[in-house]
Amino acid sequence: MAVTHAPTAEAVPEPRSGLMSWLTTTDHKRIGILYLINSFAFFVIAGIFALLMRTELARPGTQVFAPHAYNQLFTLHGTLMIFLVIFPLLAGFGNYFVPLQIGALDMAFPRINALSFWLLPVGGLTILSGFLVPGGAAAAGWTGYPPLSEQLGTGQDLWIAGLILVGTASILGGINFIVTILRMRAPGMTMMRMPIFTWSILATSLLVVLAAPVLTAGLLMVFSDRQLGTVFFDPSRGGVALLWQNLFWFFGHPEVYMLILGAWGVVTEIIAVFSGKPIFSYRGVVLAFLLITALSFSVWAHHMFATGAVELPFFSITTELISIPTGVLFFIWLATMWRGKLRFEPPMLFALGFIAMFLIGGIDGVWAASPAMDFAIHDTYWVVAHLHYVLFGGTLFGVMAAMYYWFPKMTGRMLGRRLGIWQFWVQIIGFNLTFFPMHILGLRGMPRRVADYPPDLGWSFLNLLSSIGAFVIAASMIIFFTNIFLTLRKPRTAADDPWGANTLEWATTSPPPVHNFDSLPPIHSDRPVFDLRTQHEGGGS
Amino acid sequence: MAQSVGSRTPRASGRLRWAGPLALLALTGCAKEGISPTAQDVHQLYTVIMILALPVFIGVEALLIWCIVRYRKRGGDDSPAPVQSVGGNRSLAVFFAIPAVIVAILFPFGEQTLMNVQAAVTPLVKIHVEGFQWEWTFLYENEGIFVSGKTATSTTPEEPAQMYLPVDEAVQIDLTSRDVIHSFFVPDLLFKRDAIPGRDTSFTFTPTTLGVFHAQCAEFCGLWHSHMTFDVHVVSSADYQAWILQERKAFASVTCAPNGTQLALVAHNISWNQNCLAVPAHTPFTVQITNEDAGIQHNFSIYDSFFEKQQFFTSPRLTGVASETLNVDGLPPGHYYFQCDVHGPAMSGAFVVGSGGSGGG
Repeated sequence: MAVTHAPTAEAVPEPRSGLMSWLTTTDHKRIGILYLINSFAFFVIAGIFALLMRTELARPGTQVFAPHAYNQLFTLHGTLMIFLVIFPLLAGFGNYFVPLQIGALDMAFPRINALSFWLLPVGGLTILSGFLVPGGAAAAGWTGYPPLSEQLGTGQDLWIAGLILVGTASILGGINFIVTILRMRAPGMTMMRMPIFTWSILATSLLVVLAAPVLTAGLLMVFSDRQLGTVFFDPSRGGVALLWQNLFWFFGHPEVYMLILGAWGVVTEIIAVFSGKPIFSYRGVVLAFLLITALSFSVWAHHMFATGAVELPFFSITTELISIPTGVLFFIWLATMWRGKLRFEPPMLFALGFIAMFLIGGIDGVWAASPAMDFAIHDTYWVVAHLHYVLFGGTLFGVMAAMYYWFPKMTGRMLGRRLGIWQFWVQIIGFNLTFFPMHILGLRGMPRRVADYPPDLGWSFLNLLSSIGAFVIAASMIIFFTNIFLTLRKPRTAADDPWGANTLEWATTSPPPVHNFDSLPPIHSDRPVFDLRTQHEGGGS
Repeated sequence: MAQSVGSRTPRASGRLRWAGPLALLALTGCAKEGISPTAQDVHQLYTVIMILALPVFIGVEALLIWCIVRYRKRGGDDSPAPVQSVGGNRSLAVFFAIPAVIVAILFPFGEQTLMNVQAAVTPLVKIHVEGFQWEWTFLYENEGIFVSGKTATSTTPEEPAQMYLPVDEAVQIDLTSRDVIHSFFVPDLLFKRDAIPGRDTSFTFTPTTLGVFHAQCAEFCGLWHSHMTFDVHVVSSADYQAWILQERKAFASVTCAPNGTQLALVAHNISWNQNCLAVPAHTPFTVQITNEDAGIQHNFSIYDSFFEKQQFFTSPRLTGVASETLNVDGLPPGHYYFQCDVHGPAMSGAFVVGSGGSGGG
């Protein structure tokens, strides 16, 4: 069934270096690195947008940005962070590590893999090019609700076109991952021996393939309403405004899990490695992932409680049910650490930060899951706090854990430990300073997506705190990029398996050769590298 | 330096993580108390969820800190690797059972509150609320008056719409939108409902606390979303009656006499430059409409009243900046009402058709 053996010589040897070799590569490792570079570039852009927003909101009144500019900033901050940063970061790690983790030569469809990457910068730049057209960039929020999104100018068309490209990229990528994982595993690598990160990418890909086409269809419908005179969403011409929300959130809630499953996967592995123990319940994690994948299709209308047009008890109970498998993950992470020997290297620090912060993002979502309470906090800063505790406190901490964990494998160089620890503490302090006060702002009634707020409602001090926190986060990111810059100037000295890890990517050199493996160790469990190390007695540190 | 930072990590993390539950506890006092019985129910639900959530939060973070402190690898520790233990089905079942029990406790509380919030009551006051970019209009259906907000102009500041409600009386809001999706959000009611174009929705509440309460649109609706505020005044029954009388008088005092058959009307900052127009009876007339609002649509319609029961004239929408002249057939004498249909009563006025039939005034 699986087909990996010693590599055969390529008919046409790939050029080894130079710009052209990167532009034309079909090597999943190089494509993975391109994903990461592209994602971090958009991360800087979207992060600067966030800093500009927080600058405007630091004090009541209009200081820097009039509403027209502010509305474009928050729209593109959300759009870029979700579609061009968080998801492609996880997809980038998936690209690099899924074939390595299952002992494959490459992805199943290397050329489609290259295509799905290159659609991303094109799509992202299409969205950003809205700033160059009259009327400016898209300004209807990342959710783009019609009829508002049908009113706005050319920037909104560019937003639609860009998202269709990005959505197509993710669908192609999702199919590629599914085929790779189902068909390309090395001998002995059964489904229940696959690394948990690979499982998380499989679950993500199932969500992408089932949900992303719904978004693409919805975007085409808005586009044809705008440009071809169809009537799907505009009530003044006989359309139904709420239809978009049902389509968008049918994609949009599975999307939330596309944005976090990969982080759960890598954090699960990191916790096991740095606790010196196996995952407490491998089957439990897989079961939780699959339950969440299935349940995530039944909760979309909890984004629509305040419309008064959805079945409230049904979507409330499904939303609360999804917290059960999520809770199981927390127990498994804690039980994995229990009676282990914890090493606080930077990957583990970020993984622990992930657990501590994502827990808050999980719990504050419970209020919003109860419709009567959601009527009070929906569309307020409470929701902004909640989603950032999930996507920043959760996913971005997980991404940082993954960066510190896998950087030596990708480059042959260990990221600096001291700077990593500094980054962690600055980041976690800045993060909480920015986003915790938003809970209170939401409870005090401050709506989200406002360019300005009245000075007499007691919101000013908390907004100032939040704005200061945003710049502390920026400082942590400067430490991060400095660390990468300094590390890349050092010689390649990282060991093949610097952490004493478990999974197959650590059985090859750092960085791996083009063909990934010179030879594969026997695979008898979900920890083949651990098995190899303990057979030889002693090699961990 | 790096070493000292590294070795202090576990204790420092402990201190930071304990700040979390204290802050969360402080949050209980942050939720609005509510100015109606149902709002107070929602506040209570907030506290119930907090009581369930806080032990989960403290328990998980405490276990995390315990693992960090107790099971950290100490320097010079050469003892063999930890026991490679994994859990079986029983522990997995416990892991599923604990959150399942919490959900089973939580869900009924939420449902009970939801039923209270949605319980039907017979309203004394019925207000038809319309959102539009970027103001609100409140039509008091039984009292026959309406109030609307005014966007700021270069000479006048913004005037948010003022909603007056009698204390301790049930109010029904019939909500819709004239253009994009808005949301009627009164933080002190702990409630919001989306105003969706093409869709009518209703809800009731009974304010029981006197005062003036800030409220605003909660669904992003375009350029001036953040300025789409209004105020809710909960007043005594006597003050409410006095306000109604005053508003009625203000409407009645708006009048004007015919002066020719060529009318001119200018739309600027989503306002007309006149609140009263008059023409002689049974005589065709022209209305020159000038729309000075760039990119914004206006039109001109004549109705019997702001309830729009009977329409006498309507024009196509005109996108600014533009001007056009409309030809209107003669009307029988009486008091009529004109408005821009895009913005409704917020852009309206009295339309008087004089009884004389002659052009004098």
